Amino acid sequence: MNIEKKRKIESFIALTLSGLAAATGLFWLLYILSDVIIHGLGALHISLFFNDPAPAGEEGGGLRNAFVGQLMITVAATLIGVPVGILGGTFLAEYARGKKFARIISIISDIMVSVPSIVVGAFIYAILVRPLHHFSGWAGAFALSIIMIPVVLRTTEDMLSLVPWTLREAAFALGAPYYKVIIQVVYRGAATGILTGVLLSIARVAGETAPLLFTSFNNNFFSTDMNRPIASLTVSIFQYAMGPYGSWHTQAWGAALVVTLFILILTIAGRLVLKWRYKQ
Amino acid sequence: MTATTEIEVKSLDFYYNGDARALQNISLPVYKNMVTALIGPSGCGKTTLLRCFNRMHDLYPKHRYEGEIHFQEKNILANGVDLIDLRSRIGMVFQKPTPFPMSVAENIAYGLRLKGITNKSELIGRIEEALKHAALWTEVRDKMNESAYELSGGQQQRLVIARALAVEPEVLLFDEPTSALDPISTAKIEELVVSLKKDVTIIIVTHNMQQAARVSDMTGFLYMGELIEYGTTEKIFTNPDNKQTDDYITGRFG
Repeated sequence: MNIEKKRKIESFIALTLSGLAAATGLFWLLYILSDVIIHGLGALHISLFFNDPAPAGEEGGGLRNAFVGQLMITVAATLIGVPVGILGGTFLAEYARGKKFARIISIISDIMVSVPSIVVGAFIYAILVRPLHHFSGWAGAFALSIIMIPVVLRTTEDMLSLVPWTLREAAFALGAPYYKVIIQVVYRGAATGILTGVLLSIARVAGETAPLLFTSFNNNFFSTDMNRPIASLTVSIFQYAMGPYGSWHTQAWGAALVVTLFILILTIAGRLVLKWRYKQ
Repeated sequence: MTATTEIEVKSLDFYYNGDARALQNISLPVYKNMVTALIGPSGCGKTTLLRCFNRMHDLYPKHRYEGEIHFQEKNILANGVDLIDLRSRIGMVFQKPTPFPMSVAENIAYGLRLKGITNKSELIGRIEEALKHAALWTEVRDKMNESAYELSGGQQQRLVIARALAVEPEVLLFDEPTSALDPISTAKIEELVVSLKKDVTIIIVTHNMQQAARVSDMTGFLYMGELIEYGTTEKIFTNPDNKQTDDYITGRFG
């Protein structure tokens, strides 16, 4: 067999295998998405958003408490996680640029990105729930923010590093102090990239259940008290899906669809922002 | 023409990363309201020397100066020199255009705001003045709020020059300002450089000898980190004292 033929066969095998792998991945993704959409669409009813849960076993009711709780936890997590992540990323990319310990922090952040979220939940349980003897919305928000920080930090660091160094020199040459160079020139150059990172980090935590089980727990009643256990969509989905009632299952599907769409929209928005940036 | 010395370099040595000597025993006067060109082959130290004047090297640790540079009788290499003040008095234009990611007007307002000018009508007046000064006003007067990246390369470079001029520096450093530009844009920048010398002292680094001959009054030829010859541009280009200078000028090496 000549070498050309052999290469063609090898190429065909590689192409087939990678094509099959892609198809397998896509199949399950589409299966899950379509399943969520098919079951979820039927459950989308105005009462899902505006009613609180009905007593167990009774028909009707909604998940207003979970929507509001999820929103509060996510917003609080964003308010904690985003500034810490951006400032940390700025430190690594600007003030500690090229230093060895900056490299080490970057690597640790990369590891943190892939730490199982349940570990983060257990950690917050140990430092914020156990000592205070009760679950709370704040604990949930902290758990989510810990998951967000490394994501935002690394994106910020990468995006700032992409801003050409000559741009900073040009600002220095005008007599700008470093902090003004960073805030007024470098951040502007990296703004869309950082925004993308923030959106993706919110998308990352919006679907988390495990860290909330240990921290914000759940609440069957409407509550906006972040010092108390608070409902969230993801934990409600978990609880309702495991429950014995048909109406619970339907509502869980509805909530699952809403969470999925929310994350999908955030992710697409993130990509669009990035695309728009590179067009410029 | 009576020449006033604006900057006096006195036995300057410069080291990258502590021990790699890039400049050796450089001494030269830079005259006020003249264009001084620094020429020489790549790696000869001309850009390194230029970046000593606004102490750009201070952005990087381990770089070290020895010797003195006197700017208006004060040694700017001394400890405790206010670099922010120094850099607002000695501006710099880089090889590639470096507009900031903001609008045309904001680019120029940036330097003015650093100087503490926040009054809106004053800003608008100064922006217009700077753009006129840099011969860019008629081209961008209707594009003030557009992104500076929308401008052509040559326009961006003149915008950057306008930005540097807006803060009214006494000296302007040009680091191969036309090497990324087309011939027409290059001609405009060269004209601009010549017209600016009535207001500022100019030091220009260029690898283009014709450019040095066209725009400068004084020329310094550097080779291997040393200043081989320094004199009026006319003398350097027609009757240099040094053989190496002659060889470089006539294109025998470099």
